[in-house]
Amino acid sequence: MFISWCKSAAVPILVLTGSVWAFSVLAAEAASIDTATIEKNRKANEACFACHSAAAINKPPRADLDLGKLKESRLQPEDFTPSDHGVMDCRQCHGRGYDDFPHSVTGKDETSPCTECHAAKVLRLEPQFNGSVHAKAKGLKEKFTCSTCHNAHINIVALKLKEPHKIVAQDNHGCLECHNSDETFAKFSPDGEKTPGVKKKRPDIDTIHEWLPNTRLHWQAVRCVECHTPEVAAGKMLSHEILNKEKAEKKCVTCHSANSSLKTRLYRHMVKDEQQKYGFTNSVILSNSYVIGATRHPLLDSTVIGLVILTLLGVLAHGAIRIICAIRRKENSQ
Amino acid sequence: MSTRIYLLPLWIRIWHWTNALLIVTLAVTGVSLHFADPGLPLVEFSLAARIHDIAGVSLVVAYALFTIANIVSGNWWQYVPKPPGILERCWRQTKWYCLGIFKGEPHPYRVTEEANFNALQALSYWGIMYVVMPVMLATGLLFLFPQFAPDRFFGFDGLLPVAVLHYLTGAAIMMFMIAHIYLGTTGHTATSMFKTMITGWHED
Ligand code: HEC
Ligand code: HEC
Ligand code: HEC
Ligand code: HEC
Ligand code: HEC
Ligand code: HEC
Ligand code: HEC
Repeated sequence: MFISWCKSAAVPILVLTGSVWAFSVLAAEAASIDTATIEKNRKANEACFACHSAAAINKPPRADLDLGKLKESRLQPEDFTPSDHGVMDCRQCHGRGYDDFPHSVTGKDETSPCTECHAAKVLRLEPQFNGSVHAKAKGLKEKFTCSTCHNAHINIVALKLKEPHKIVAQDNHGCLECHNSDETFAKFSPDGEKTPGVKKKRPDIDTIHEWLPNTRLHWQAVRCVECHTPEVAAGKMLSHEILNKEKAEKKCVTCHSANSSLKTRLYRHMVKDEQQKYGFTNSVILSNSYVIGATRHPLLDSTVIGLVILTLLGVLAHGAIRIICAIRRKENSQ
Repeated sequence: MSTRIYLLPLWIRIWHWTNALLIVTLAVTGVSLHFADPGLPLVEFSLAARIHDIAGVSLVVAYALFTIANIVSGNWWQYVPKPPGILERCWRQTKWYCLGIFKGEPHPYRVTEEANFNALQALSYWGIMYVVMPVMLATGLLFLFPQFAPDRFFGFDGLLPVAVLHYLTGAAIMMFMIAHIYLGTTGHTATSMFKTMITGWHED
């Protein structure tokens, strides 16, 4: 049922007429999409992968293919299948314009927007997205869509990805694609305020964050959005409001302390498994990263503090007895 | 009768005070980092991290120079607890710290140019300088260059054993430092050992 809805040309019209709820229910329902349908979709997609895959680029099925264009895509069957949309038929998003080759020229305009199936989430995200630096910059908003960060063919939602370093790699890739490439950045960059007609230059990402020691290590262990989004309540989805340099998090102890904000951010799907393994606080973080200040062992800490205090008391007591004895000796000798 | 001997050459004294300064700095910033908390700001975290890195690398350099100078000058021999009768001498020294010192008895062993340290000193300095210190410096360097640390450790991040060893050896050195400063007051007079450490001349 879901498929026929999405394939239907009536979908955009229905969304416009306000059937927002019906579609969010449909997307949610897809989680229980039956195996027969998944099989059918996978079979249908094989027709597309006959050209849209590394294998096809190496050994083109026909001579008239624009291999250069095919190579630009990161689309691969082995990446698509486990992704969030891997259970779907390509044509649910791309419409019927791609059934034949050469593809229909209007195919691109028919790509379903995210709202079509994720209306409820988009409703929640949109105000945050509109408040972000990218939506506020002049001329950038129009070019900045959901798929600028989300690759619909590859991305896997954090909850399913589980391993923190994979989540970090995926989410930072989204930002670094522009912020670490002059070429891509220039395609989006607005004109400078004082220099109309001349695009703003990309600030080097490591230089901007020079105040953060072990910068490269941090890029592998935390995401840009950890610092560049506002705090949300524990368990809630991360905000889509990307914060500018004035509002971004600069305090180290936000992460480097026992009550680390990493718990409500990168590790938010794991904290329910927190078991204080071997007595460590934040042991779920420790499974991936040792974070000074956050991954401590309270019992070991108490022992060490106790020993240091004992040493201090020991020398103080020894000194006091020495002084008392010395005074006594002086008195006796007089 | 008071005797004066020239005990400590200039390089040892410079090294000692450099070491002292660096270790106090590292202890204060190390505590600030390990017990980092918004409610307990000893030294602000990023400042502490920066100072700790610089002081740590300096300590490694100081230690390397110390080791070389020790070998060249033969000073390393002072640290070796020498048989026979080490245990017996340790026992006498311990007894003196526990009882004799209160009664005003003289030191059981006299400081000579051949033997600066009593047996207990030699043993504990040997342990700190040649066992604890190298472990602390090596784990510190690994912490600074985590790419050389093991990747995984029994289901935890590979930096865990490095961090814990660094923490424990750091704490051991702090405790040594407290005892060491205090024992500095047990010379001929309360300040005579500190004077020796500055002038190089020992008096008793
Ligand atoms: C015979 C090979 C072939 C098959 C089969 C094929 N494609 Fe393509 N497709 C291409 C090539 C080559 C391009 C590069 C642009 C062009 O030449 O149109 C392309 C481009 C595209 C684009 C990008 C269009 C644009 O304007 O950027 C989409 C989307 C697409 N294909 C989807 C599909 C889908 C969905 C299927 C399966 C239903 C499919 N293709 C099947 C060869 C194929
Ligand atoms: C959830 C919706 C969705 C599904 C399912 C989907 N795509 Fe796409 N696809 C998109 C969107 C959105 C874009 C446009 C990306 C952009 O604007 O850069 C796109 C772009 C493309 C492109 C253009 C080049 C590129 O990689 O960006 C090709 C080719 C393509 N899709 C092929 C496929 C094929 C083949 C499948 C099935 C295996 C598929 N898509 C499944 C949403 C989808
Ligand atoms: C044609 C319908 C359709 C379109 C268009 C679509 N999606 Fe999805 N999306 C789905 C379905 C169905 C699932 C759930 C798959 C599952 O649960 O196995 C999903 C899952 C997801 C998830 C996983 C988390 C969640 O909310 O379940 C994300 C993130 C996501 N989509 C983002 C996007 C983005 C971004 C776009 C636009 C580029 C988009 N989708 C367009 C149908 C769609
Ligand atoms: C600036 C980059 C960026 C843009 C633009 C963006 N997103 Fe996201 N989105 C992210 C990141 C990063 C995450 C991962 C957050 C997390 O781990 O919870 C995410 C997460 C999500 C999720 C999954 C949340 C969950 O855990 O269920 C959905 C759904 C989603 N985005 C939809 C959208 C839609 C729809 C749009 C367009 C209105 C959009 N995003 C635009 C970066 C972006
Ligand atoms: C498609 C390219 C692109 C992607 C992807 C992208 N950005 Fe940007 N970003 C830009 C451009 C262009 C600007 C410059 C806007 C300006 O200077 O007005 C910018 C500006 C910024 C700023 C600067 C705001 C300020 O203080 O001046 C921040 C912070 C930022 N982006 C963070 C992120 C984060 C975090 C992500 C990933 C979640 C991300 N960006 C993804 C293109 C991108
Ligand atoms: C530890 C927190 C943190 C992380 C992680 C982080 N940032 Fe930042 N970012 C900041 C802060 C704070 C500033 C403001 C710096 C300043 O004012 O000197 C900033 C500034 C920026 C700017 C503004 C540049 C300018 O001067 O206009 C951009 C763009 C940016 N970050 C992008 C990113 C990207 C992309 C990532 C991920 C690779 C990232 N940041 C990761 C905290 C962080
Ligand atoms: C967004 C959370 C976050 C913020 C903010 C943050 N860090 Fe980190 N930091 C981490 C994580 C996670 C690691 C662990 C990296 C690894 O080894 O996997 C780390 C590692 C480090 C390390 C390397 C030693 C270690 O624990 O592995 C140093 C040093 C460090 N951070 C200093 C700082 C300083 C100084 C600041 C403030 C200027 C800061 N960090 C801000 C998350 C953060």
